Amino acid sequence: MKNPDPDNLKELFERFMPPSDAETAAGEVHAGEDVLRDHPAPQPRPEIIVGIKLQINDKLAGRHRTSHSLYRIAAAAAAVIVVALIGYLGRAPQSRSNLSRAALIPTAIWESDDIASDDFDIAYFASEIQQIEAQVRALEAGEGENTGAGALDEVEMELMQINAEFWKE
Amino acid sequence: MAEGAELTRVIEGCKSGNADSFAQIVDIYAARCYGYFYRLTGDRNLSEELLSELFVKLVEKIGSYKGGAFESWLFRIAANIFHDHLRARQRRKKLLDAKRTELEAAPTGSPRCDDKDDKLDRLQIQLNRLDDDTRELIMLRFYSELSFKEIAKLRSEPLGTALSKLHRGLRKLRELMEG
Repeated sequence: MKNPDPDNLKELFERFMPPSDAETAAGEVHAGEDVLRDHPAPQPRPEIIVGIKLQINDKLAGRHRTSHSLYRIAAAAAAVIVVALIGYLGRAPQSRSNLSRAALIPTAIWESDDIASDDFDIAYFASEIQQIEAQVRALEAGEGENTGAGALDEVEMELMQINAEFWKE
Repeated sequence: MAEGAELTRVIEGCKSGNADSFAQIVDIYAARCYGYFYRLTGDRNLSEELLSELFVKLVEKIGSYKGGAFESWLFRIAANIFHDHLRARQRRKKLLDAKRTELEAAPTGSPRCDDKDDKLDRLQIQLNRLDDDTRELIMLRFYSELSFKEIAKLRSEPLGTALSKLHRGLRKLRELMEG
């Protein structure tokens, strides 16, 4: 711990007591502060510092995020995506419009441009959704090893699993 | 430690709402502010909560910083947050009395503690024997690194009073630690 001693303590004490007493008092103050220096306080945990910076980012962005509210929103968004995709996959191929990336990336949850650095859980969630998106695109294009009804069921199951995981939080 | 022009630049960044600048402020002051809270409360979790509250408050209030010693401004907020905590503690006195008893009952030099932990516990216990006001003054002086004139101004008390309290408090603390 830096100790610039911005005051000349002896001089300060001399305003209130004789010079000899002032010197003793200044010495006692320095000795007391040495005791504090010899017993440093613990440091804040690194994850707390990361959490504080995330809170600041939220505050600056006008968000008021807690872990509970974050997961509630994520779970709700996951449910919406599941319903939307099941509806989409259930339609006849010719009636499917082009799959919109914006419909799959949970922008309603997280408005940041840098999801991965903001929150690991959201990055994981986005990654899973992107993976599903790629699979759906492959199915839509008739690519991949398994393009039958079983493939649609598989994708649907994955979406259900993601949704269930979020509701656990 | 950011000094002078560098700190001014970082603070200007904060005023512009730059997240990186706030992150720098956190990096610069988190350890000192945490130490301040920890030595006043003796509670790591609570200190982390107060630290978090401090920096969120900093975001809210940075627009009101009009120059001068940034440490003085920051530690004034920290002191206010601690006082708010004390008021809340009064309302939960029963619960916290139990916690204090638990802390005071902790044996000095627990065999499970290494030397560093032992020293930390011993200082915390002896600090708790000082009156609240003196302990706060000592911690403010030590962690804010402000001059006595700035501390007296921050506490709205005469220089001689602050000086006298600090002298008596540190002398007593040293005696307790040596006893």
